[in-house]
Amino acid sequence: MQTSPACKRGVLLIQKTMTNTSTILKATNIQKSFGKGEAKNHVLRGLNLQVDRGEFLAIMGPSGCGKSTLLHILGLMDQPDEGEVTLDGETFAHANARPQRLRFLREKIGFVFQRFNLISVLSGRDNVRMSLRVRGVRDDEYVEKLLQRMGVAEVAHRKPGELSIGEQQRIAVARALAHKPEIVLADEPTGNLDTDNGDALLELFRQINRQDAQTMVMITHSTEAARQADRVLHMRDGLIETE
Amino acid sequence: MAYLPLANIRHHKLRSLLCALGIGISICMLVALTGLARGSLFENADRWESVGADLIVFPKGWADKIANRGVGLSEKYAKILRENHGKIVEQAAPLFCWPMKVAGQDHVVAGVAPEQWSLVTGNAALKQGRLFDPDNRFARWMEGKLLTPTADDAVVEITEADLNTPDHNGLELVIDTRLADAAGLKLGDTLRAANHNWTIVGIVPAGVMTRIFMPLRTAQYLFGDGDITKCTMILVKLREGVDVGPAAQTLREALRQDVIPPKAYRVTLQEKFSIMLTYVDMVNIIALVIAFLFVMNTLYTMVLERRREIAILRSCGASGWFILRQVLGEAMILAGAGVVIGIGMSFGVSALIGKLKPLLTPELSFHWMLIAAGAAAVGAIVSSLYPAWRATRINMAEVLIYE
Repeated sequence: MQTSPACKRGVLLIQKTMTNTSTILKATNIQKSFGKGEAKNHVLRGLNLQVDRGEFLAIMGPSGCGKSTLLHILGLMDQPDEGEVTLDGETFAHANARPQRLRFLREKIGFVFQRFNLISVLSGRDNVRMSLRVRGVRDDEYVEKLLQRMGVAEVAHRKPGELSIGEQQRIAVARALAHKPEIVLADEPTGNLDTDNGDALLELFRQINRQDAQTMVMITHSTEAARQADRVLHMRDGLIETE
Repeated sequence: MAYLPLANIRHHKLRSLLCALGIGISICMLVALTGLARGSLFENADRWESVGADLIVFPKGWADKIANRGVGLSEKYAKILRENHGKIVEQAAPLFCWPMKVAGQDHVVAGVAPEQWSLVTGNAALKQGRLFDPDNRFARWMEGKLLTPTADDAVVEITEADLNTPDHNGLELVIDTRLADAAGLKLGDTLRAANHNWTIVGIVPAGVMTRIFMPLRTAQYLFGDGDITKCTMILVKLREGVDVGPAAQTLREALRQDVIPPKAYRVTLQEKFSIMLTYVDMVNIIALVIAFLFVMNTLYTMVLERRREIAILRSCGASGWFILRQVLGEAMILAGAGVVIGIGMSFGVSALIGKLKPLLTPELSFHWMLIAAGAAAVGAIVSSLYPAWRATRINMAEVLIYE
């Protein structure tokens, strides 16, 4: 894809694009590298990807193949060197469109991190509440329902350091779902969980995907986990290898 | 939203306490030092304004001085005022002032004719004891000794023993309650000061013009080189209905001396001590600046420590304004706690000063507390701006993904 001069100057480039209404997420010619000169490491090499609304997609691949980098670019937390991401009809190119990216993070994207990334000074419940407050919403009743659905309402008064790994991940999922995002992106969500907790979390994801028709994109190393998805993509050397 | 800031403050209790304490100490300095400087100064002015006189006559050029004492004016002016300006002047009371060290501190002593006590003190009743020289025997004896011409113009010698006899005791003092408390003096006590032994014969409630009063003739004789015809100033009581301004002008022109109302003393005090007050204010400002540099450092460290927390908020879509509010909120809570601690401490310091130095008057004013709170709020905002700005610049991808 040709990069526009405006895009090269790092100027905001967002445009409404004509996309298939069933496509919620589209990545076109995504390129990303780290380092400079001889040490430059091309992590993503012109990757293309499309995710349908309501789909549960799993992305697998060996370590270092660029899965997490791709997920962060799809989730607008990082920017590609080249290429563009179209999310729910709006296109983000390599540009510093920070306010728009933040708006999408607030409204349309829920992110589940491998390391949970809960705020340590807040209780589990307050972590979920905080994510709503960032979005200008105060709805404690809804937070309680969500925590009950995740099975952590009884322990949500504890701080992350006082919760088990499985409980922390469930709180993190509740936080990602609290604002009812269009798409949930999960970066190896079972990577730090034991088998029981991992299975329970995947079952939860499956439920959320089916009952709420929530689009899910999950990075995983686990074949078992990937089996829960509607579609599985395999990555190698910064490109989608097989589907 | 004080949600996250409060949680962070609770999580870092000691650091938050130290930070609030730093602000509190500077607030305490501001409130207590200002209260002490202004309180002591204005208490002095209040006492001067308590006199029952409408005007004070000073020697020419003395009116803008704050420590008038000694010989400066002939007592004849009091007679001229009564006799030549009787239409507007009801009373004229000569006063002789001189410093005397009591309880480790210099005090202005006022030599007052007993019959002028009401005019000088604004009609203050004694709390204990009696007035010195109540039947004017001492004054008459002194006048007889010193003002009666002798045949051979011989120098009249008066010894301490002459001054201090049961017939005409001139070495008597009336002191105010604050000095009595501070110096531990009570009625009947003997006090050694200005090379003489004085007896406390009366105690007057604090708030009168000076803390120590003695007979006019004693003050004139001992501190005015033996000349009992000279005084330091003359207090003038005008007749009812006489305008002070025009009367002052008339008397100024007639006597060719300075004639001012007692309240002008407050203005003079303020003018003379304005440099000292500015100095106190500057010290306070420096203390506040240091306190808020401390706050800035704390907040900046906090921002550096909480890069992940801020990045998490960013990953939820938190705007720069939201992040800024978290840092600002924490600074405001710390400043608020500092103000409460500081004002509490200033009451403690004030009580301590009152205990250790009872003659000082720390006056804690609500006005200065409000100024201190305002300064703390402004300081908190200013000192949190840079850390807050740094917080908004944190790159969530860098922190959450690559760190």
